[in-house]
Amino acid sequence: MALWKEIGNRLAWLFRRSRFERELDDEIGFHLQTRADELEQAGWTGAEALRQARREFGPMLRSREETRSAWQMRWLEDLGADLRYAARALRRNRALALAAVGSLALGIGANTTIFSVAREALFSEPSCRDPQSLVQISMGGDSWIPMAQYRLLEDAHAFDGLAGMNIQMVVNWRDGNRSYRLAGTRVTDNFFEVTGIPVAMGRPIERGESNVAVITHGFWTKHLGGDPNVVGRVLALDGEPYTVVGVLPRDHRMLAGFGFTPDLYLTKDPIEVMLYARLPRGMTRQAAYARLKPVCRELDRVYPDVNRKWEKEARLSTVGGVERLAENGQGAMPVVAFFGMLVVVTAIVVLIACANVSSLLLARAFTRSREFAIRMSLGCSRGRLVRQLLAESLLLALLGTSAGLLLNLWLTRLLSGVHIPTPLPIELVIQPDRMLLAYSVALAFVVTMATGLVPALKGTRAGIGGALKEGGRQAGPAGYTLRNALVVGQLAVSILLLSVGLLFLRNLMYATSFNAGFDTSHTVVATFQTVWGTYTPQRLAGLVDTALERLRALPGVEAASPASAVPLNPFLAFNRPGGQFRPDAGSRTVPVQYNFNAVGPDYFRILGIPVLQGRAFADSDRIGAPQVVILNQNLARRLFGDTNPVGHILRFPNNRDARVVGIVRNCKYVTLGEENAMALYEPHAQQNYAAFAHFFVRTRGAPETMARKVEETLAGLDAGAAVETRSMGEIFAGALLPSRLGAAVLGSMALFGLLLASIGLYGVLLYATQQRIREIGIRVALGATPRDVLAIVVGKSLRLVGAGVVIGLAVAAVAVRPLSMFLVPEVRPADPMNFVLVACMLALVATLATLPPTARALRVDPAVALRHE
Amino acid sequence: MPPDPLPELLPGTLYLLILRTLSHGPLHGYAIVKRIKEASREGLQIEDGSLYPALNRMLVKGWLASEWGVSENHRKARFYRLTPEGHKQLDKEAGEFDRLVRAIQLVMRTA
Repeated sequence: MALWKEIGNRLAWLFRRSRFERELDDEIGFHLQTRADELEQAGWTGAEALRQARREFGPMLRSREETRSAWQMRWLEDLGADLRYAARALRRNRALALAAVGSLALGIGANTTIFSVAREALFSEPSCRDPQSLVQISMGGDSWIPMAQYRLLEDAHAFDGLAGMNIQMVVNWRDGNRSYRLAGTRVTDNFFEVTGIPVAMGRPIERGESNVAVITHGFWTKHLGGDPNVVGRVLALDGEPYTVVGVLPRDHRMLAGFGFTPDLYLTKDPIEVMLYARLPRGMTRQAAYARLKPVCRELDRVYPDVNRKWEKEARLSTVGGVERLAENGQGAMPVVAFFGMLVVVTAIVVLIACANVSSLLLARAFTRSREFAIRMSLGCSRGRLVRQLLAESLLLALLGTSAGLLLNLWLTRLLSGVHIPTPLPIELVIQPDRMLLAYSVALAFVVTMATGLVPALKGTRAGIGGALKEGGRQAGPAGYTLRNALVVGQLAVSILLLSVGLLFLRNLMYATSFNAGFDTSHTVVATFQTVWGTYTPQRLAGLVDTALERLRALPGVEAASPASAVPLNPFLAFNRPGGQFRPDAGSRTVPVQYNFNAVGPDYFRILGIPVLQGRAFADSDRIGAPQVVILNQNLARRLFGDTNPVGHILRFPNNRDARVVGIVRNCKYVTLGEENAMALYEPHAQQNYAAFAHFFVRTRGAPETMARKVEETLAGLDAGAAVETRSMGEIFAGALLPSRLGAAVLGSMALFGLLLASIGLYGVLLYATQQRIREIGIRVALGATPRDVLAIVVGKSLRLVGAGVVIGLAVAAVAVRPLSMFLVPEVRPADPMNFVLVACMLALVATLATLPPTARALRVDPAVALRHE
Repeated sequence: MPPDPLPELLPGTLYLLILRTLSHGPLHGYAIVKRIKEASREGLQIEDGSLYPALNRMLVKGWLASEWGVSENHRKARFYRLTPEGHKQLDKEAGEFDRLVRAIQLVMRTA
């Protein structure tokens, strides 16, 4: 504390330095005068008295110097002087300064934005009281546990509190005469008490309450119009009245992380929950684990489960940061890897920008070597010169970083507002924080060192004699070599960036143009979700029949079909059952895992999935009729080999038999990236669904115009059910989002990197040409043809580009391998075509960058050049 | 025989002396020197030239504050006073100094 105050005092002194000098004069004057007065009274004469007073005072200059140094911060003042000098130098070279700051700003802006987004999505601390003592418990290798087991755990009172939460809940909200599907999170009544999640308005849910809800800020503003009297308002959720007791703050971050944001939290015990425990003050995780163990053993005794030993793999993990990521395991891996790649790519762009700035500074340092030599011969130390040159790059880095941070603030504000069009309720609240600031400061430091250190050291190395003798005209070969190396490095990493960018562009192109195996142009998909428990399977089956009748009767509708799953939609995902199947009910078993969908007779026609063998389902495939299935090609080949399976019997793992009636073409089911996915269809009318159905409707015209009518038709069947319609194109666009995002970000980064690298190449070639104008002039005077002159410049360019391309391709060939995890299987990272394209692209841009310096060299007039200094 | 030269100040005691002198109220620089000289019955002499660096170092540390006023001889003078931190520092240093002196005396008497 005292130290800060002291620094503050010193800083304040900097601003009143001239007054300080004046006052010190006055003060010493007063001292001497007073002493002299005293001496005069003692009988000294005026002049003698003053002289004596001075003698007593001692060396005046030293005293003043020491007094001043009490306040001074030498390094800060020197730094200030260096920065002022650097600012003047940059003002004289406005184009250089702008180019350097601009490219640094773009690179740093992109890099810090990725940092901000990744930090928010992956590592953000959830909104709750004291996150350090809140842990998530998983047992038997799973973070979900059923309610009965939860009760036993809670009654064991092993911790300060134990609460459960279930985020995977769809809630029907009836508002007026319409119903909406909301993303609800069901929590145990003590959830808010245990976690201490803060609310912005009203109060949290309290122990013992039921039928109450806490809504999120987003839901409040978007769906309730930001009603200031919302607390106390009753919402009809799943056919029951729920009272809103509180509203969460805008920056509420859920325990689950990843920006996952539901519409509301409500009390209702779900079937299974994720567990959160509050550890007593100061309890270590080991101690907590020791307390959990016996409870797990008790669970194993009361609820023995052959598939799940509670005691095994019991884990406690913190609710934020790295451990939450680890807890999400496989699911989080691609996301983390993707962000990691983006950080690396944007960092490479920053490095390319640094190389440019460094190269420019290097050129400047060499043209100034004469100035340095003179200063050094006058006694200036090399360290002082290095420091001054570093101040220049520091200034550039600071300007670039500040501009980059502004860009970051703008971009992240843009991203925070955007509703990410995923089927999952994801919202990111990105705010600048101390971490971002620290990161930027570190980045600025790295940039300063990367751009400035080498030019400063090299530029001042020449020493006194050399630079003066050379007349400061020639840059030493060391400078050339280094700048050449920088350009080669830039070109090489641009190759890498371009390869990555190109892969993602091809990925997008492929994903957009290829058909996922079905037709998305004329299909409306409606999701019909009834209130849980209001239907029996028979009643719902009747309702589905009525719905289909009415939908088909709509003008402009060609066909309609129910289905239990919607392709390419993780929120309405396929069941993925599996097990040992017996083809032909024989003794041979085949282990398979497949995507399951229960569909109506017209499903394949609506989505344009061709039936290759046998038939589609018929209206006669109902409950009571023989069970039938349809397989996709992959599953058919897996189960039956090359024989035609139509007509064969398939025995399920639970010994149920069904007859294969048709084979349909393969298509995509869950993601566009999946490969060789297997699928099995059963007739919707042979299932026992009691809560929901999806309807696929094929329209004659544009599907968007029909969505409304479909929705009204379905809503008219059951006022309590929530209906949501989207066109299949929209769903497809959602599945394309990662490809779009990847292609946009990486493509633009690659182009930006290429641009910077070509500017670097251009700069080096132009500089080299200018340095050799005299030489070229002599050559021309001695009879060199334009062809020979061309060879000088183009030869250098070719050497640089060649080296860059070779190194870049070698690195890229290895480095892009792991990218296959992000790409559709049809786009292969090792495809030689990619590298050929990238090399061509680079060669083209390099040619463009070589043209102006070549033109400059060809224009050399020997008469002028020989006089050129 | 020339008089014994005045003993040199122990290192670091200058701050202590200034703090103590100012604890009764604000003084200007010359008065501080004089007061110390008188209080020590001419036993201690602060070099005038080292007073102002010391005062300024104490200003930086925030132990002292200064303001301009008028002296007894009707001249414009700079007066120094203790800040709350200065009082704290005085208590601390005075205590340490007492302990040090007592310890040295113990050694001198017994050893």
